[in-house]
Amino acid sequence: MSRADRLALAGDLEREGYLADDGLLTAIHLARQLGLPLLLEGEPGVGKTDVAAVLARVLRREFIRLQCYEGLDASHALYEWDYPKQLLHLRLAEVEGRRTEGLFDDQFLLQRPLLRALRAEAGVVLLIDEIDRADSEFEAFLLEFLGDFQVTIPEVGTVRAVVPPVVILTSNRTRELHDALKRRCLYHWIPYPDAERERAIIRAKAPHLDERSAGRLIDAVNAVRDLAPVKRPGIAESIAWARGVQLLIHEGYDWFEAMRSSLGLLVKYEEDIVLVEAHREEVFAGS
Amino acid sequence: MAEHLHGFLRDLTDHGVGVSVPKKIHFLRAVELSDHDDLANLYWIGRISLTTSPREHEVFDPIFWRWFSTTPPALVAEPEPPAADDGPAAAPNAVRDTEDHPYAAADRGTGQAASPAVRLGRLTFRPTTAAEAQLIALLQRDLPAALPRVASRRRRPARRGDVLDLRRVVREAARTHGEVLSLRWRHRPSRPRRITLLIDVSGSMKQHSADLLRFGHAVLTSCARAEVFTFGTRLTHASAALRAADPDTAVRALSAVVLDADGGTRIGSALRDFLANRRFSTMARGALVIVFSDGLERGDCSTMTEAVRRLASLSHRLLWWSPLACDPTYRPVTRAMAAIADHLDALTGVCDLQTAHDQVASAFSLVRGPRIRRHHSGG
Repeated sequence: MSRADRLALAGDLEREGYLADDGLLTAIHLARQLGLPLLLEGEPGVGKTDVAAVLARVLRREFIRLQCYEGLDASHALYEWDYPKQLLHLRLAEVEGRRTEGLFDDQFLLQRPLLRALRAEAGVVLLIDEIDRADSEFEAFLLEFLGDFQVTIPEVGTVRAVVPPVVILTSNRTRELHDALKRRCLYHWIPYPDAERERAIIRAKAPHLDERSAGRLIDAVNAVRDLAPVKRPGIAESIAWARGVQLLIHEGYDWFEAMRSSLGLLVKYEEDIVLVEAHREEVFAGS
Repeated sequence: MAEHLHGFLRDLTDHGVGVSVPKKIHFLRAVELSDHDDLANLYWIGRISLTTSPREHEVFDPIFWRWFSTTPPALVAEPEPPAADDGPAAAPNAVRDTEDHPYAAADRGTGQAASPAVRLGRLTFRPTTAAEAQLIALLQRDLPAALPRVASRRRRPARRGDVLDLRRVVREAARTHGEVLSLRWRHRPSRPRRITLLIDVSGSMKQHSADLLRFGHAVLTSCARAEVFTFGTRLTHASAALRAADPDTAVRALSAVVLDADGGTRIGSALRDFLANRRFSTMARGALVIVFSDGLERGDCSTMTEAVRRLASLSHRLLWWSPLACDPTYRPVTRAMAAIADHLDALTGVCDLQTAHDQVASAFSLVRGPRIRRHHSGG
């Protein structure tokens, strides 16, 4: 990847409001060049899910999202037959005295996210979100898909991707993923951004906050992170907080009041709210 | 250049990173596509295509810079996973995971703040006796059935169920020209909940921890989803080591991992570390959690109380097994135990394999049905 490519990609993402660092840019570029799935890990709220949605807009591709959960199986992820329709078809054939054929035609096939991703002719960006929430059966089921961008459906045969999809998997590391899955993917850990980048992100997401206010807000967020709370606020929380503060100021609150009243957007545990209140001086030092 | 790259890959493989051939192919293909003069770019390509976890980044980084430069440029020096609660620096088992690597030396002892109370010791145990082996076999037989159960999320075809199995209904109807002659059902089979043990191996538990580790071994070898942690001054994820088929081999394997046996106790901070690591705390969510400890916390016990409260709300049931409670006159009157008693589902006396088996055989019944709290106390 040349510097020019990297800058171009960074510019494209930035226009959609996503500020990526060099590591992430390289990861995205490689995923596209090599046609490999990209596994993203990192703290909650560092923008793992967002990057896929933004990438879809940048590439002008359809965005398909598969949210994982325990017990997710092929009938929800890949395909399902439209049973009521099949039954009607059978009854109709019986009434008309025809032979029943083509019970497993395309007209009875309900396409779920993975199959849609393979069959889309314009290519898609597929997000397989929070893969660590699915069980290992589902992980095993994904291997064929991730390895060759194809799946095998007993009644239909093997379906290959028309255009290889850009696949992004995310994981919050609540459990260790199988080696077999990791081997098929590129891997990138998204770190918390430094204060500089985070300020730029806040400026992009809450454009009505002035430079100085954004700076104070980031200082407060970092002060909260340093208090070792139960849950360290991620970027998603700082963005939500910045937007809340921005709205309250617009409605006539003063700075300090706006930040305090909307604190619930930043910290979500009762213990943490108590903690922040106890260290009010440090957290809101700049205000 | 090709020679150099292959040497670099060999070096990585020797240290356990990027071992699989597909990963190497990904890397070499990516290098082919990229500029050769851009070192930072090569760093990212290598890291993204060869590694699979933040832990491997710790191994990858020094090796990369040894092969490709003497000092890392500033622009790539920062991206270490911060991960106060998730990444490698905080994972208490980092010591085990990196033990074979020359860089492990730097890791050792940095995980936890040292204090005069920390005295690193190794676990040493006498071999398992025949009577104990018999008890372990009994436990392995009785444990799976004693665990609380939960409805699986994956439905299976069944004679009776709550949801129509349309797939089978339509398939059978196809044979009878669309006439549905009988209905088929799917249900959610039950499966055992996860069981997670936290075993105190500090000095004050010296007589009992060996037996409880054997219990941990019995749990790991018989229950499908089980995890064991040990703690003294620090938390150690002991499941992998204890899972060996033979109890003595298991305990010996564990002694290589547990470096804080027979030292002081910091129950509060150990439990807090457990909760702060998201991978670990998931192992307590909806699980049967058993803490085996005498609960003798020195100094301020607010950390411990808070941690126990959160552990109780995460878990399906939280049982506290204490050797002190084997004494019928025991009452939880020490400050720490009195403070946490309300959060526990049960506080019972267990001091060896026999009493542990008694618990499994009888008192596990309390882990069924709705949860009953003696008191409700707010945070």
